[in-house]
Amino acid sequence: MGSEISVEFWVATIPFVPLLTFPIILFLGQYFNGKDWWKNILKEGGSISLMSMGIVLILTSMVVAQFIGEMHNGQGLDIIDWITFDVLRSDGMTNGVNLGFGIYIDHISLMLLFVASFLCFLINWFSIGYMNTDKINDNRNHRFYAEFLIFCSGMLGMVLADNFLWLFIFWEIMGLCSYLLIGFYYEKPSAAAAAKKAFLTTRVGDVFLMIGLIIMWNIYGSLEFDIIFGWDYFTNPVDMTLLKTSLILMFIGAVGKSAQFPLHVWLPDAMEGPTPVSALIHAATMVNAGLYLVARMFPIFIGTAGDGLVGELADVAIIIAIIGGITAFMAAGIAFVQNDIKKVLAYSTMSQLAYIFTGLGAALWFASKGKPELALFALGASLFHLFNHAMAKGMLFMASGSVIHEMHHAHHHISHGEHEGFDAQDMTNMGGLASKLPITSTAMAAGSMSIIGIPLIGGFWSKEGIIAKIWKAAIYDGGYLLFIPAILLLISAGMTGFYMSRMWFMTFAGKPKTKVAEHVHEETPWIKFPLVILTFMTLGGIVFASLHFVSWVSEGHAFHYDLIHEMKHAFLAMDKEGVIDSTFLILTWATIGLSSIIGPIIAMSLYGGNLKDGENAIPTVSWLVKLSGMVKNRWEFDNSTLANSGLAEALRRRLYFDDFYDWICIKLIVPIGIGAALFDKKGVDGVIKGIESGSQSASTWIRKLTTGSARDYIMMVALGSLIFVGLIWGMV
Amino acid sequence: MAAYDVLSIDGGLKLLPEIVLLAGILALFFITNLGDAKIRIPLTRLRIPALLGGNRFKWNSDPRIPGIVSVFTLIFAIGMLIQTLGDDCADIMKGFCSETTILTTTGKNPVHLLKLDSFSRLFELMFFLALLLVSAASLNRLQADSNPSNDDLEQLLDNRRQVDFYLLLLISGLGMTVVAMSMNLFVLFIGLELASLPIYVLVAFHKESKAGSEAGVKYFITGAISSAVGLYGMSLLYLWSGSLQLTVLEAAWASMDTPEALPLFGISLLLVGFGFKISSVPFHFVAPDAYSGASSPVAALLATASKTLGFIGLMRILMIVTLPETGETAVWMFAFGTLSVVTMTWGNLAALGSENPKRMLAYSSVAHAGYMMAALVAVAAWKSGSYTETNNNGLMAAELIIGAIIFHLFVLISFKIGAFMVISHLETEDDVTDMSSLHGLAKREPIIATSMFVFMLALAGVPPLAGFMSKFLMVTGIVQVASADVLVNNNVDLIPTILGMHWTFFLAIAIFINSAISLYYYLRIGVLMFFEESSTRLPLPKVSILRFVIFVCAIGTVFFGINSDWLVETVTNAASALFADS
Repeated sequence: MGSEISVEFWVATIPFVPLLTFPIILFLGQYFNGKDWWKNILKEGGSISLMSMGIVLILTSMVVAQFIGEMHNGQGLDIIDWITFDVLRSDGMTNGVNLGFGIYIDHISLMLLFVASFLCFLINWFSIGYMNTDKINDNRNHRFYAEFLIFCSGMLGMVLADNFLWLFIFWEIMGLCSYLLIGFYYEKPSAAAAAKKAFLTTRVGDVFLMIGLIIMWNIYGSLEFDIIFGWDYFTNPVDMTLLKTSLILMFIGAVGKSAQFPLHVWLPDAMEGPTPVSALIHAATMVNAGLYLVARMFPIFIGTAGDGLVGELADVAIIIAIIGGITAFMAAGIAFVQNDIKKVLAYSTMSQLAYIFTGLGAALWFASKGKPELALFALGASLFHLFNHAMAKGMLFMASGSVIHEMHHAHHHISHGEHEGFDAQDMTNMGGLASKLPITSTAMAAGSMSIIGIPLIGGFWSKEGIIAKIWKAAIYDGGYLLFIPAILLLISAGMTGFYMSRMWFMTFAGKPKTKVAEHVHEETPWIKFPLVILTFMTLGGIVFASLHFVSWVSEGHAFHYDLIHEMKHAFLAMDKEGVIDSTFLILTWATIGLSSIIGPIIAMSLYGGNLKDGENAIPTVSWLVKLSGMVKNRWEFDNSTLANSGLAEALRRRLYFDDFYDWICIKLIVPIGIGAALFDKKGVDGVIKGIESGSQSASTWIRKLTTGSARDYIMMVALGSLIFVGLIWGMV
Repeated sequence: MAAYDVLSIDGGLKLLPEIVLLAGILALFFITNLGDAKIRIPLTRLRIPALLGGNRFKWNSDPRIPGIVSVFTLIFAIGMLIQTLGDDCADIMKGFCSETTILTTTGKNPVHLLKLDSFSRLFELMFFLALLLVSAASLNRLQADSNPSNDDLEQLLDNRRQVDFYLLLLISGLGMTVVAMSMNLFVLFIGLELASLPIYVLVAFHKESKAGSEAGVKYFITGAISSAVGLYGMSLLYLWSGSLQLTVLEAAWASMDTPEALPLFGISLLLVGFGFKISSVPFHFVAPDAYSGASSPVAALLATASKTLGFIGLMRILMIVTLPETGETAVWMFAFGTLSVVTMTWGNLAALGSENPKRMLAYSSVAHAGYMMAALVAVAAWKSGSYTETNNNGLMAAELIIGAIIFHLFVLISFKIGAFMVISHLETEDDVTDMSSLHGLAKREPIIATSMFVFMLALAGVPPLAGFMSKFLMVTGIVQVASADVLVNNNVDLIPTILGMHWTFFLAIAIFINSAISLYYYLRIGVLMFFEESSTRLPLPKVSILRFVIFVCAIGTVFFGINSDWLVETVTNAASALFADS
């Protein structure tokens, strides 16, 4: 296709734009730190990185515009061929291998590319408002922006990579940047510990991912998407058990990266990083890497089923769905009791990612069962949820950042710079902020509604789709194990309604709970702009849904506008022929009832309330505040027995996962580590030192033979002649 | 394939690059000698300007003139080289190849003297490039002010000394081209000596320094003896076959049923001559002395062009003349295999403890010779084994391996010369006799230090630099050949596979281990440059052209590592030309 050739170059340059910019910021920062113009005009590198991300966004938009109307399959394009060689496969054949860098473009990668570059740009914008106005960041913001840019190039590269190896390399780059950015305040012990924890926990997953990739290499003799996706299982049968093992191991890598049960423990702690980092890495982009990896397995499932191996890989899909269901439920439960605004969002992230995993599980299950149409629907719904969640959660984190920032400032203002252990992130210190932070409260309301799935707003369309598809998989095709995630997801939908509402009402409704909360006011425009943009993106979910985003992102269908059909489909469970499916009609309304009515109402009755007398919120949210006041007055009840019960305590302790892992580490891993260190010191180092001193003395001895006298050299030439004659003659 | 008389017009045109070189030599001689001398016509008072002699004019008394002439001659020669490639190969973007032309003598029994093909043209290109880099770098190295200051070394390097230097360089280049083209052992020998003798002088060019003249004399004596031994071997071959033409020798060798004493003896002694050129053990002893005594650009020439000369000879002798029929073992296989391992190990071990960077580079160059010798052995193993099929591109394993060696020789030009140029840059400040000159270079000259580090990594064979590519190609070639018998039997268990392999497989392992050893001293340079404190923080003297050469080398090192397609194509073309029916 001619059009691709013109864009392929531009697509390939996308990850390299930030990669080339980051050293510039780092070096300039090193030299010009403290200079006025560096601080005010270049924003300690923020403007440079914003420019770089702007270029990325423009390039991405160009590419997306090029591809948006067309329908075609994914395609790998080699950009640089480095080495070509043959390798010996396990069956005795040789395989041509090409090392190089290439890109793989299809709708999944394009969508993620857009999400990543769009959010990176906005969050960069936000960072300028957030990071540069805080005194503790002075003279080190260039480090932030440099690390931010490497992260961006990692994410963009991962999405574009045309084989699993490059995907893994960029994946690790992101892991490194996540570590660096969580530990940005490395002088704080908690931040340093959180960084270490995040790094090590994801590393557990990465090791499995690597083993999975090695097995995959062994199966296919290549990690190129083109080769793996186009594999012909008739002519080249593969060992399905091995393939299954490999896919499950790769999924464990995704579990680590996307913070799913049981490797979820790092994500809440990662909130120690600056808020833009939480918004970018731990909500909007990096955690999507795991989802992307699983979505990339989709063609393998389709391919095996298409070549007659129906149902062979269904187990993998079921595992993915169940893990997703468990995480969605568990994380939602823990979010009930969190008081730290960012931690609520962190658990919400975990839970929503779990939804997507379950949806992908359903998609993979349908794919392996040989039902590609249903599979594509489920895939589309999952990816649409990924899109909605990234937009909404990125915005929520930025909004929470805005709240924290203003709380912090207000506290600073009142206490005149004394820090006496005030927690600017604790929601029990807030309340009634709706009147003080109009834009932030509106944005947060929109984001929360999207996450809850209030009808017509972004997340609704995709969440409905996921729940419907996992139920469909469970009901119609007899995968009884799939009832576990199906039921858990339905319950979690209601829980989501509760904890997201709880967060909003605790923060913005009711009377101010502290003096600090009374003195908050919105300031910097750098913070407002991204919130406004993303509010529109989130509310625009209905537009995306009616454009059939779901079938574009999964199949590459061109957009066409059909709102009525989508509405009928979503609310009446009506298919194209106009037949209403009663099971799904009930299911749909059960979901809507749980998530949009019951959950929020309970939250309102517990945490709602009118604002302080004489204060008014902006009209966009004032109705919400008033509603909550009404509900609270009528239905307020005492939940202290439940709040003080053992279950709540267990949830507060995060279900003891951290304690359990700590215990394992101390009892098991640390002794092994000590032993290994000892072996390394005594055994390995001893051998290495022995080799080193041995070769040094050999070197001294051997150099003594070079006497410097021409007579000896001639001797040696004569000797050499004898050796040649002797060896040649001796062999004949 | 067309054959021309050397002296015919067509044949002459084919030699345009060499003619350009010759013209350059003459120009060097005349331009710098032009003067206002006049001859009085006898019995009259008329004085005619004779131009040669007398006081030089102002425009040609600039000491930089010879260097500039030399640089432009070489650029022009490279241009002519590309010009004469022929129509089929005009698109050099797709790999560099050439029509095959044979130049013969006239007469009843024409003797094939020179052969112009992809092989020889590529080597000519390599020689020209190396000479170009060296002479460009020497523009600064030897430069003297028109008004010499008090420094006596600079005073001596006036215009006339400069002429000598570049004249020797170009004459040596002429000899190198002859070696690249020769189809006759005698012509090859003439070319070899034409190339070597100027280099002996160049090594001793700084006659004022004791080390320089001592190194020159030592190098000359040892070199002369090796050449003499080689020449003796050649004469034995002549005695045996009655001709020194490679094709005749090849036919005679092939028709020999049982090994005869005369040719075996002759070949053994001939290998001594080339062994010295490539500085293989035990003929390498003088190399460290010569490298450290010579000025760095000359040492760079020794490590690249001079070594390449030896390998051309070896390829001609080993690959053309004595390579046996399939299934038989080449007579030199064991001897060369042993020596290759000894050479690489010796070179690396000796380099490990060297405190003089130039000696270190000399030993490293010995080690690299060992790697390439090992690759040559693999070709013999290919002939003796059953791995005769061609690969996807229809190339024989031998062509791939020889291609890898040529690749290595080619990219050595970028990073070996680059490394010597950095030392040369350091020498503009003070003599470099130990590693302390490199201390803290990164703080004084970050870009130069980074380039040096790149050169060291390339020498060590770290991906994605050019040095990695060449080592990778050689090792895969060896492993492919060595494992061919095992692969045929479809035996995939690890231990039997390794035991069942041809013994050349252990050469690959030896290269592997030696690369690990060599990392120590290459990376040590990096440690010294980046982490040691130097006595001064001042930057090095400004020598722009030398710096430019260093950057060009660094860029080439990275470029040919990442984007090696063109070069791989080119070297396989050259290797195919070597094996083509001659």
